[in-house]
Amino acid sequence: MKSWKTGLIIFIFFAFGILAAGCETGKNNAANSPDTTSITAKTTSAGSTSPKILKVRFYDDPAGFDPASIFRIENENLAFNIFSGLTSYESVSGKIIPDLAESWNTTDNKVWTFKLRKGVQWQKGYGEFTSGDVLYSYNRIKDPKTASPYAAEFNNLDSITAPDNYTVIITLKAPDGNFLNQVANYHQGQIVKKEVVEKFGDKLKWNPIGTGPYEVEKMDPSSEMILVRHEGYYKGPALIQKLIFSIIKDESTATIALQKGEVDVVMRSSLEQNLAILEKAGFKMNHTDNYAVSLKVFNLKNPILANVKVRQAWAYAVDFNAISASVTPKTQKAAKSILLDWMEGYSENTTQYKYDPVKAKQLLTEAGYPNGFTIKQLSTSATGISESMQLEQEYLKKVGINLEYDLVDTPTLNTKRNKGEFEISGRLLPAINPDMILFSYLHPDNLAPKGLNGASYNNPELTKKLEAARAEVDNTKRLKLYEEVQQIAMTELPYLPTFSSNVYWPSKPNVDGIVINKLAQVNFYTVDIK
Amino acid sequence: MLGYSFKRTFQLLITMFGVVTLVFFFIRLIPGDPAAAMGGDSLSGAALEEIREKLGLNVPLWEQYINYIKSILRFDFGDTITTSLSISGLLLKALPITLTIAVFTVLLSVMIAIPLGTMAAFFANKGKKTLDNAITWSAMAVDLMPTFWMALILMLFLSLRLDILPASGAINIDHPTMLIKRLLLPILVLAISQVATLARITRTAVLEVLNEDYVRTARALGMSEIVVVFRHALKNSMLPIITVIGLSFAQLLNGTVIVEFIFTIPGIGSLLIYGINSRDYPLVQNVILFYALVFVAINFITDMIYKKVDPRVQF
Repeated sequence: MKSWKTGLIIFIFFAFGILAAGCETGKNNAANSPDTTSITAKTTSAGSTSPKILKVRFYDDPAGFDPASIFRIENENLAFNIFSGLTSYESVSGKIIPDLAESWNTTDNKVWTFKLRKGVQWQKGYGEFTSGDVLYSYNRIKDPKTASPYAAEFNNLDSITAPDNYTVIITLKAPDGNFLNQVANYHQGQIVKKEVVEKFGDKLKWNPIGTGPYEVEKMDPSSEMILVRHEGYYKGPALIQKLIFSIIKDESTATIALQKGEVDVVMRSSLEQNLAILEKAGFKMNHTDNYAVSLKVFNLKNPILANVKVRQAWAYAVDFNAISASVTPKTQKAAKSILLDWMEGYSENTTQYKYDPVKAKQLLTEAGYPNGFTIKQLSTSATGISESMQLEQEYLKKVGINLEYDLVDTPTLNTKRNKGEFEISGRLLPAINPDMILFSYLHPDNLAPKGLNGASYNNPELTKKLEAARAEVDNTKRLKLYEEVQQIAMTELPYLPTFSSNVYWPSKPNVDGIVINKLAQVNFYTVDIK
Repeated sequence: MLGYSFKRTFQLLITMFGVVTLVFFFIRLIPGDPAAAMGGDSLSGAALEEIREKLGLNVPLWEQYINYIKSILRFDFGDTITTSLSISGLLLKALPITLTIAVFTVLLSVMIAIPLGTMAAFFANKGKKTLDNAITWSAMAVDLMPTFWMALILMLFLSLRLDILPASGAINIDHPTMLIKRLLLPILVLAISQVATLARITRTAVLEVLNEDYVRTARALGMSEIVVVFRHALKNSMLPIITVIGLSFAQLLNGTVIVEFIFTIPGIGSLLIYGINSRDYPLVQNVILFYALVFVAINFITDMIYKKVDPRVQF
């Protein structure tokens, strides 16, 4: 009995100890924690030289940062700041700009000569960047042993040579007017160093070393990742010395963390109510609009969906404008094309489907379904059935289409979708470049399960135009061909563009220069704390 | 006791073998491909095959199974598929965190729930219905609140409004103060619901023995009511309470998933969810193996405590 009592006393003592410590340190939060930027902001404004630290909310468990295998936007975001490509994207316009390549030229879109920047340094003392690194990186992606999902991006590569340390000549099998996108600072385009890859092997994922503005200081994949600025970066060191990416998965928690000042920036905030809270409280609402478009994939192997009138009826039956305006005014708006409006080649000069239930009903009757039909859409249980999805169901019910949702977890969804085991499914199109999107989704070479053409769409007329566009050297003619491709695609509707989504990175008012580019990435080189 | 220990160890090995086998095959029955989960949803067929080969998923299932058993016997738990991190390293990092939460949650809830439940029983026995109802009903109300909701409410109140505890921050040994502060909220949230369950169980158990002969004898001997209830009745109603404590500890160790998600606590629950979502076979297999071990061990310990509390219990 006595020992029980002693135990109790010790426990109470300990519990109160912790609580007291919590209260005390809670009150002096800013003063005690070296990580908070409130203190950074104060000291820098007072003229002190203490380092500028930016805390960013990272929203999921990281899966590693090897450019050959990296995917998911949050991981790509770190890689974007660690690595460089021959080219990069201008943050606001999404246009291709020079990066490791100072300049390039081509006369036929087939032979590309890149002049590399001199004096670019690798992080952590790996020496100067040269053409050999480019050769190594691209061959690594192409090597089947690397098993890179991006190997197909380089299928068109015929040969890569390096006549000297600062020149790379790439010859393609077929002309490609969009080739500069393949060598940009993204996935396969990111340049790695042979010695680093060989040193770390499988662990390269957690030891990424590049030529970009920030280098890794610490990787704790279950808690936080710290990047420090690369002092030898070719444009000069970045403004912020240290970036701390704290993993906060729950979005409401992230919102509270920003309000409390525990983080300075929330990487991706996508819940309308949280965005509203932050906007009202005076936080900066950094955002980029139309970064990706959601597509409804109609599996044309399904006899009902094979009928183009059914697909068109669907488009007329649902008022996507009204749904986005009422449910997701900040994060989504109705989409008008497979491509995004900022992309080269985007055209609205296509069939547009204004909400018209009468016409929808008429098309269904013509298609032989006067009383409608029941159909299933494969969807992820991760997001469940959203309000927008419920509203779509209601709209469709009015014309007789009974839409049911078949919810499975994300890996199952991916497998089923890749195998074509669905009637209808969805896709969020990543914003890369028009050529890649149109080829991947509409060209018969990419029919599922081999590629992304999940609708199993094959139209020889459209295919011919696609191939002609890729080979076309004259930019105006090429864009004209893209427009024609979009016209056919929007009339035949193997994919129905539903919503284009916006990306928000709310931040404290004193954080400057958060510009989200069209790949939903932020170049931290230009970010500063006032 | 020694014979019993041998028997239990043998049972443990059989159970573990069963768990290993079942988990190995069941996780492969779930649709979804680790290669696809690893490469993203835009991975094409050929690249998928290459990844599969690299992961050793292209050999027949029985061969994969034998390879797995062999590696366990060597205590080699391997690396995760998606992140290439060492699984034993991940478990060793996650375990102390979840263990701390579980231990302190149980201690805190026992400290509050047992006196509360006993008091409720005491009032009920005395016919003071209002006080008994107040305790029982509030326990029930708290029990009905969803964990995620309570977590958010507490966070809003303690973090944002009162600014006592942090809502985010690093959970690792490099930041010990932060670590303690970060663990307080999940402990509080979990303890609240544990208190509710445990208090109700305690009330029922104590109430049952309050009318026993020995309690009446104690009263007749002139002992004060407090002594009667807390020393004699409570001690004799400990068996069901210990069972519940044991079970809830095991549950806490395994299933703090929601709380770990909301507070971004890198514990065992987070690890399992990550493994399942990415179809990371080795990770899931080994985390579940660990779960099974914990359950068996806790059952064993509970049995031992039984014996200590009530020597009449025979194995």
